[in-house]
Amino acid sequence: MNAIGSILPAAVPREATRLHDVLHGAAGWLRRIAVAVLPSVLILVLWEAAVRWEVVSPDRMPAPSAVWGILASHRQILLAQSIPTAVDTVLSFGLAVVCGLGLGILIASFERFRLAVYPYVILFQLIPKVAVAPLFLVWFGIGMQSRVAFAMFVAFFPVLVSTIAGLTGASPSAMRLARSLRASRSQLLFQIQMPYAIPHLFVGAKVAATMAVLGIVIAEFVTAQSGLGYIIMFGASVGQTALVFAAVALLCGIGLALYCAVALAEVAARRWHGGFPAASG
Amino acid sequence: MRSDPVQPERLAGTGPVQPEAGAVAPAMSGAYISVREVSKVYGRGRDRVEAVHRASFDVPKGQFVAILGPSGCGKSTLLMMCAGLEHVSSGRIAIGPRTVDGPSRDIGIMFQDPTLLPWKTALQNVLFPIHIMGLRKAEHAERAGDLLRLVGLAGFEDKKPHQLSGGMRQRVAICRALISDPDILLMDEPFSALDAISRDEMNVLLLDIWQRYSKTGLFVTHSIREAVLLADRVLVMRRRPAAVVEDIMIPFERPRRPELGDTREFVELCAMLRRHIESQT
Repeated sequence: MNAIGSILPAAVPREATRLHDVLHGAAGWLRRIAVAVLPSVLILVLWEAAVRWEVVSPDRMPAPSAVWGILASHRQILLAQSIPTAVDTVLSFGLAVVCGLGLGILIASFERFRLAVYPYVILFQLIPKVAVAPLFLVWFGIGMQSRVAFAMFVAFFPVLVSTIAGLTGASPSAMRLARSLRASRSQLLFQIQMPYAIPHLFVGAKVAATMAVLGIVIAEFVTAQSGLGYIIMFGASVGQTALVFAAVALLCGIGLALYCAVALAEVAARRWHGGFPAASG
Repeated sequence: MRSDPVQPERLAGTGPVQPEAGAVAPAMSGAYISVREVSKVYGRGRDRVEAVHRASFDVPKGQFVAILGPSGCGKSTLLMMCAGLEHVSSGRIAIGPRTVDGPSRDIGIMFQDPTLLPWKTALQNVLFPIHIMGLRKAEHAERAGDLLRLVGLAGFEDKKPHQLSGGMRQRVAICRALISDPDILLMDEPFSALDAISRDEMNVLLLDIWQRYSKTGLFVTHSIREAVLLADRVLVMRRRPAAVVEDIMIPFERPRRPELGDTREFVELCAMLRRHIESQT
């Protein structure tokens, strides 16, 4: 013990972060937010000016103020139509993650299953998805089921691919360590492969979040029953471009909220994980 | 093909067993690890590579044997076959009465890479084998803490691997290899990625641990000094064909201190070993 004590460096855990660091960090964040917001402010101002000075016709391109006016005056109906769109989007995203993860685990774990199933999953993905949207209407009816099923079909592939990449990309030396301890297959999966796959899973989930919104809007175009997609079709058909823009703005809001939820979960996961590679946005 | 054990000229007459070998169990207790005519072949036809060619040696209980050789001589492959992580192409490896046909929980392994799980703290990493073996962690937490203190990591129990230096990580890996109190410790160039100073520290640490726990050990290295300092016996391997060509007893008594490396006997023994290795290539 003495022999070791004398040869090893004194072990002193690092002190907690100081107030100075916290303030410095906050200023850095503010600066980054300002840089990110500035271009959109600039574009809105130019856009508004272009419409006011009649560089573009307000019928083709309504001014941001006109879109804001629609959002305010039609907020009840817009909100009523946003809710089913948002619920369907979140639902299809959730299903896409669950199915992508489940199928990914099966494909990554069982060689025969991978050989038998994966080529067809890829073939299936090569179909232009919008082209088969009407089929979902035939299969699932004009209700919510067909919209959610279609958006899930659009969104699950990135989750699947990232799951497979993550599970098969687990550190070979960690896998060897677990094998040396005679870890079971489920221990390998849950103790080694899944934690190593987490950074990959978030990449897939972020893509899936944007794809789910896309899928729901296409499904709403096709079913033409309700939702912001339906509002867009309706607004465009009667020349109400401001209404179209208002609906698009709300869609962006839904997509952004879902994306941010995934990003926040990623931050929490990164804090737990420790060995996360650098953030990708 | 294995040649007869070679004794250095200066030490002629010193039998295969060192009576002064203190804590080390006497070699006469017979073979504990028995390697018989073991070969390892990768590929076939034109791609056929023989990584290990008919290696044979015995390791008695309590002996620390270093396997020394140039990189690519198959020494790591030989170790991994002893660990049950690689199949033997021909021949037989036995530990006690049991033929090795897969990993065993009686063996602790240290890899070249510390292989810590990045999302687990130092303490959790040490307890990982306990977790995989389905044993009660609470019962081993105290032992894990003692081991971490022994290797000079008191106060670092809750640090994640990315907060530790390379040497510290390898110390955590030693603790993990010892946590289940295995009879055998297999080490695959565990310190080769460390800087020279950390490496010396780790050698001292390993000498101390050996004095304390007296396990049976196989230690793969390409450092002659490290082999002579740590081991009771050195097996020299050569490349093409990869085989064990020398079997040399190291006569220095234990407990050994790092100052041993500065003595004339030590330096001469190293020089003799170097000549042996050079004459083989």
